[in-house]
This record gives sequence, C-alpha cells and structure tokens, in this order.
Amino acid sequence: MAARFIRHILRNNSPNILLKRWSSTEKGVTVFDPFAITPKKDKKTYLEAVKMFEGRDTRRRGHVEFIYAALARMKEFGVEKDLEVYKALVEVLPKGKFIPTNIFQAEFMHYPKQQQCAVDLLEQMEDNKVMPDTEMEQMLLNIFGKRGIPLRKFWRMMYWMPKFRNLSPWYLPDELPNDVLELAKLAVARITSVDPVMKIDVWQTEEVEASLDKTWIVSAQSPIQKVLLSEQPPEDPLVVKGPFQVYLREQIVSYFLLLGKTRPEPKDETDVDDVSNLKKPPGIPGYMGTTKAVAVKSTVHEQDDGTIVAICATGTSSRDSLLSWIRLLEKYGNPVLTNIPVIFTLIAPPSDVSIQEIQPAIHKDAKNAESN
Amino acid sequence: MTVLRNDFIKTVIRSCRQYSVLCKSLYSYNHLIKFNNPVIINTQRWLFWEKERKGGYDTTIKQSNWEHIRNGFKELKNELKLFAEEIKELIITDPVLISRPGEVDLLWLFNDANVLDKFVTTSDSDHNEGFSTCSLDMSPAGRAKFHGYLDTKVPKDGKIKKAGYCGMRSKIIRKSFKRASTYNWHLYNTLVLKVRGDGRSYLLNISCEGYYDITWNDIYHYVLYTRGGPYWQIAKIPFSKFVLGSKGRIQDKQNRIRFDRVTHFGISCGDKIVGRFDLEIEYVGLEFDPTHEEEFAYEMYKTDKYIVGV
Repeated sequence: MAARFIRHILRNNSPNILLKRWSSTEKGVTVFDPFAITPKKDKKTYLEAVKMFEGRDTRRRGHVEFIYAALARMKEFGVEKDLEVYKALVEVLPKGKFIPTNIFQAEFMHYPKQQQCAVDLLEQMEDNKVMPDTEMEQMLLNIFGKRGIPLRKFWRMMYWMPKFRNLSPWYLPDELPNDVLELAKLAVARITSVDPVMKIDVWQTEEVEASLDKTWIVSAQSPIQKVLLSEQPPEDPLVVKGPFQVYLREQIVSYFLLLGKTRPEPKDETDVDDVSNLKKPPGIPGYMGTTKAVAVKSTVHEQDDGTIVAICATGTSSRDSLLSWIRLLEKYGNPVLTNIPVIFTLIAPPSDVSIQEIQPAIHKDAKNAESN
Repeated sequence: MTVLRNDFIKTVIRSCRQYSVLCKSLYSYNHLIKFNNPVIINTQRWLFWEKERKGGYDTTIKQSNWEHIRNGFKELKNELKLFAEEIKELIITDPVLISRPGEVDLLWLFNDANVLDKFVTTSDSDHNEGFSTCSLDMSPAGRAKFHGYLDTKVPKDGKIKKAGYCGMRSKIIRKSFKRASTYNWHLYNTLVLKVRGDGRSYLLNISCEGYYDITWNDIYHYVLYTRGGPYWQIAKIPFSKFVLGSKGRIQDKQNRIRFDRVTHFGISCGDKIVGRFDLEIEYVGLEFDPTHEEEFAYEMYKTDKYIVGV
C-alpha cells in the first residue's frame, strides 16, 4: 500500500512537500564553482572563496565535495605549499559532530567519507612537503576526536617528516632563488663541493671583446685544477663537454666541463719478491734495490673519463659564451690555454649563436642585391 | 577426472615457487577462474589474503606447451652447470667467515654489460599506468647507467590517482633447479654504492619477501641523495637506517632488516619531478663498519593501544 502510494507520488511530478527542499526559484541547473569565478588567482582570493563557502550555508552542505574541489584547484592558485590554506580547508569541517561517542563508532570509522577526505587533504600536504603544526593537530582533534583516522595520519606525518626533512647532505634553502644566476651559483657550488679549495667566480662575457652574446659565466676552478691544466701536454687538445644537467629540487641547471687527458698511472716496476740481484749484503739497514721517484697522488679531479680542469654554467649555454669562458680562463691564471687547442663537443646546443653569425652575411647579401 | 587433475597440478605447484617451469600450466588452467573474477590491478588497503606475488600484475609470458617443454630442456643444461658449481662449493667449503673492516665486498660491479642482465627495469608505462620510461644501459664511461624520463602525468582512466615511477631491481636469487634462495648479509652492516647522479634523490629498496602473503611486499627503503656533476660519490648507508614499508607505505611497527632474508635489491626514481633522470652506478657493495654500533635508528617504544599498527 505504502509502496504504491510512494510510486504514485514519484510518477506524477506533482509539487510535493518532500521534494520542495531541493527545488530552487531558478529554473536552469548551474554548477556553482567559487574557484572558477575568481578574477585573480592567488592566496587571497582562494581564502575568500573558502570563506564564501563557509558563509553561504550554516549547515555547510557538500563540504566534502567542496574540499576535494579546493584541493584539486590548489596548483592553479599557487597555494599548494601553504600551510595556512590547508588549515582554512580543515576549518570548513564542522566541529564535534564527527567525534565518536562509543566504541562501536570509534572502531567502525565514524563518518567515513569525511575522515577519508581529511586523510586525503593530509596526504596532499605530505606530497607537497608541507609539514603540519600543533594547531592543525588541535583542529583535527576538535573535529574527529583522538580516535579519528586523520589524527593517526597526522601523527605518522609528524613522526616521519621531521626525520627526513634535513637529511640531504647538500643543503638547499627552503625557497630556491628565482634569479637564474643565483641558481647557477648554487648548482656549481654543489657540483664542486668535492674539492674544499674550489674557487667560484662570476665573470661577464663583456670582458672578452670578440664575444657575441653578452651574458654571465659562473666558473669554478680550484688551484689543484690550475696545476693539472698547466701540466697538460700541449699537443693533446682539451675538450669542452656538455650540456649536462643538475637538478636543484625541480629546477634544472645546465653545466659544461673542460676535460683534459688523464695522467698516466705511475708505474713501479720493482718486484718485491725478486731476489736475483741483491746489491746490499744482508745485515746492513737501508733500502734493497733501487728507489724510484715518489709517485704522484692522483687527485679527485682525475676521473676515468678524463681530468676535469674547470666547470662552468653560462647564462645562454651557447657556444659563443663557452668560447668566452675559455678566453676568460686564459686571462685569469691559465696562460697554457693560449697554446693548447680546445675542441667543443656539445650535444645539441639549446640556443646557438650561429643564427647571429649568419645574420651579418645575409645583410651583406642584401646590400649586394641592393647595389646590383 | 579433470577436476582431480587440476587439483593435483595445483598441489604440485603450490609446493614450488611461482617462477617454476610448471607455473605456466597453472595459469592456463586458471584462466577460466580469471574470467569470472577480473584481476584487480590497483593496490588495495583492505586485504585479508593475497593470491599472487605480483599483486595482480600478470607478467607471465604466454607460451605454447611445446615451446614450454623445449625451453625447459634448454634450461636443464644451465641448471646442471649450476648444480655442479654448488657441489664444488660444498666440497671446497670456504665461506667468508670474518668481515674485514674497511674492505668493501662487491655485490655487483658494473664494468661489464653482462652484469646488467641481473637487473630488471620497471616503469609505470609498462602496465599502462603512466608515461614514464626508463632503461639500464652501459654509459660511455663503461659503467651502468640507469636513465629515463619521469612523467607524473596521470592517464585518464578514472582509476589511477598518481603516476610517475621508474625502478631497477635485481632478479630473484636462486639455487639450481629453480629453488628459492636469499642473500645472507650477516657479516655486514653498511651498504656502499659508488654512483654519479644528477642531483635528484633516489630510493634504495631492499626487499625481504617472506613465505606468507603479508610479507611479500615488505621492502626496506632509504634515500640516496646524489650530488650531481661529473664527480663520483661513494654513499655508505648503514642498514640500521632503512625504513620498513609495504606497498610503498611506511609501516607503524618498524623493525630492522633480517639480513638472511634479503631477496632483492633495487633503486627507484619517483621524486615527483618531471624530467630526465640519469644515475650512473659503478658498484654496489657491502661493508662492515665496526664504529657503527647502532642496531636500529628509529624508536621502538610501546605506544597507546589502538593507535599504532591498526
């Protein structure tokens, strides 16, 4: 009987008192997205959108869907690394209602959608390397109680994240500099941290008169490398290799190497077990056999693919800037470079100045054409 | 009759490990069951019993029965060789009993292309779950080079939430006739790697697969930070620092590595930074450092009930 009655109500689309709650005065269905309508996308407008949602409805209907939508829009607003924003989103959840009041509720995940939503929010924080604080803990405690799964997630994060936060042996500032030159300085300093006496210089290509593109060069060369370069045989050419890439978190810096030949390994032909030609009679202290010259200790710069003589990063990574680098190295304490030929073996230069080299030729042709 | 035969084959196979020559026939008998219960590929949190070691990723190579028999006979030769070596070793009886402090015993020295065959690379694009690619080659300097492109783009199939991983892992260690074996690293307490990276951080994975299904995904992780640049670096990481994770999730109840149960060693790249990665490896070795007395780096105290490990 009752079923028939309900079916009757549903079949006739009569204005029913039960359905009235969902009907609105406007006829068309529109999706209200507070994040889509904001004109400027930054932290302030993001927080305003969250406030708008909070103030719209005292019951805050659809807050789980709202939080998921807000989490998805974070990158767009550039706030994914901001703790304050995450706190504002947690604040959307109502206090007290989700705290379990008996053991059955506590065990069987009271309000599962809401708890999962908060866990996903915390996981997004974790992925973006944002560490929560004790205020966040208090907020979550007020919302879910101490048996809530988001609290467990929070405590796990607070246990592990500080342990891994400063683990890297190569320190980087929390916020990387926006300036490319500063970034290149950091990268070159990190690469060359093997040698504590490494000297890093910043040169301008303007110093070289013949240079085409005017840019900066971050060059690193230690006194040991200077000696190694001066000892290079003048007939063997040096090689400029690159660009190689180094990551500073998500920033990429290209660098170039100046490679020389590796010194031959010192050979010691004395056979310690050879007793065929003993020159000293036994019983007299001192050396047996011949003593040879002291073997030269190999330095860290002598790798198996060549001796690294200098490292640089330039503003344009172009061939011309590298040529200027070689000239500047020659100017600042490496006079050997005037005699030694240098070969450029570059893998697909990202921005080549050869276009600029061609341009005057075209002008000439054009002038010739005009004169003709 | 067929039912009986099925049961018999299954019991035979259950006594062997999955990589047995026979396992193919199990799959061919199982394909009807599979149709009814489609394999769930995504990792599950709530799991009482796990059917497959690979967690639903079916990586078996489809072969005909004839081919299978032929390959089995081909392998027989190598297996007998292995067996002979084992017997020789048994007769010689010369195991390393004392660790020499300061000396590194190499597990893999990547100076030869043959060593690369002992490793397998995987990326999310292998299972249509992402767009990363990777490979393990010899570098111009004559070392192993684990390189590729990491892409965090998520394929639009409505199931996958995150993407972007590449990994290399040593193949399973075994004795002759496909018997399971494990590494025994009891003498050592430090992992030593000589690498040349690109400034990214990589993850070192030491798998300790056990007998029961809950231990199949137990992997001990630690981070390998690379300096970047042309200089080689030697990373020495004590085993006490390794963190237990299962299916990529750090576990609440931690314990240190069981050195006699190590089954795989791997390196993976998944630092959520889109771009090329490049890691050159010269060797992976083990060392005993007598100055390192720490057994386990993380707290083992008891915590409140129903908060941890649930």
